[in-house]
Amino acid sequence: MTSRSLGQFYPVASPVHDLDPRAKIVATAVFVVGLFLIDSTVGLLFVAAALVALVAVSRIPAGTFLRLLRPMFFIVALTVLIQVLFSREGATLLEWGILEIHSGGLRLGFFLALRILLLVSSAGLLTATTAPVALADGIEDLLSPLKRVRFPAHEVAMMMTIALRFIPTLGEEAEKIKGAQAARGADFSRGGPLRRARSLVPVLVPLTVGAFRRADELAEAMESRGYRGGEGRTRYRELRFRKGDAFALAATVLVLLVGILL
Amino acid sequence: MRLELKGVRYVYAAGTPFEVEALRGVSLVVEPREVLGIVGSTGSGKSTLVQHMNLLLTPTSGSVLVDGVDARSLQKSELRRRVGLVFQFPEAALFAPTVEEDVAFAPRQLGLDEEEVQERVTESLRVLGAGEFARRSPFALSGGEKRRAAIAGVLAMRPEVLVLDEPTAGLDPATREDLLALILDLREAGISVVLVSHDLDEVAEVADRVCVLHEGMLHAVGTPAEVFYKEPVQAPATVRVVSLVKESRPEIGDPVRFEETLDALRTLQGI
Repeated sequence: MTSRSLGQFYPVASPVHDLDPRAKIVATAVFVVGLFLIDSTVGLLFVAAALVALVAVSRIPAGTFLRLLRPMFFIVALTVLIQVLFSREGATLLEWGILEIHSGGLRLGFFLALRILLLVSSAGLLTATTAPVALADGIEDLLSPLKRVRFPAHEVAMMMTIALRFIPTLGEEAEKIKGAQAARGADFSRGGPLRRARSLVPVLVPLTVGAFRRADELAEAMESRGYRGGEGRTRYRELRFRKGDAFALAATVLVLLVGILL
Repeated sequence: MRLELKGVRYVYAAGTPFEVEALRGVSLVVEPREVLGIVGSTGSGKSTLVQHMNLLLTPTSGSVLVDGVDARSLQKSELRRRVGLVFQFPEAALFAPTVEEDVAFAPRQLGLDEEEVQERVTESLRVLGAGEFARRSPFALSGGEKRRAAIAGVLAMRPEVLVLDEPTAGLDPATREDLLALILDLREAGISVVLVSHDLDEVAEVADRVCVLHEGMLHAVGTPAEVFYKEPVQAPATVRVVSLVKESRPEIGDPVRFEETLDALRTLQGI
């Protein structure tokens, strides 16, 4: 709860948060595929402008959204650097010893960086505006046609929901155990990588034992409340595909088409 | 040693929508050789407060003083040895193959020689009545035995202040009685004990002074008699009901009848 990172849900009220999770999942998938069909920088810039507008509509503060993306900045920087240093296309802009910087490299670096950022931003926007449980519900629904070929769509979604639900719980547990071991003199930041890895043993052992205990308890709690799989099970939150959702999907496709044509 | 908290404020997840101000300016002193009880309802900030005593959490503002010296200027390892902190449900942090090894973890971190480590392990286990299961796996023990082993693991550092966060939560009565007796023994041996609990009877039994924490602020400080019986006007409602009920029965442990509780509530409503 204390640190915000990529893929975390940001609970505010906005039109984007209100969309049907299925619409958002499909739109994101379409968007990701569409990005690879766009081959002009102008096209990408157009799509980027549309995404920036969407982030504004989602009421996630720009600073927070950028912070959600922060883990990606290193990869983006590395991509740009490699393109700029090793591409030999276009006019030579700078020559310094064995280093040569060409205009083509700069252009390609910018293009790839933009594509990666758009890719991650769209997925980030999906998870930031969709509660994990809604996301799992949406995936279950989208996978349900596969039930005909005996694909356990409900079970997969339930496992995802449980996994997502317990990430913060395990995180809290890990913090508590780290605190308890630190109180006994454990130091997790001292020494080389090997020593630091070894210092985590007193945290990982109880954390694993606790996770198994929790899993047992959860299974018992679910059984005692009558859980017996997806067959005949109804939902508390019914998903409803409304006009707005259709509009959002259509708008996504339209923006991508324009981007591809530009 | 004298441990002092001065105007400690602590904010969780500052700058996010999840921001919570858990402590809003708490000042208190743990005097040498005393048992200080800290009571308060769930979410009043007790656990956050105790983690400031060995600086596992550093205050957002305010300071922690050890014998008048700012604790931040001390070596962390030194501070954590002198102020032993036992978390709530400490058995969740047992990890070694045997109880003995687990208790030896803290003294080994201090860099003591093996002879000294063994001596401390044996002593801590003896004090907690855990000697008989020293060579067993901590995961094969009962709840009460695990709790004893975990507390021994902190006591092996020979702290000057021992902070116990809800040490009796979920325990069998026998282990509970043993722990309360241990607290008094430690005080006799010159160690200060901070006992966090929401069991008022237990605190009244062993504490020299009591602090009442309510929504991150200190509402009352004093001897158990002052806090529980004299009904300070600033005490929260639960404490006032308890003190009214106990006015007629100063002996702790006397059963309280339903009518008495009802009378107390009526009197309180009249105030």
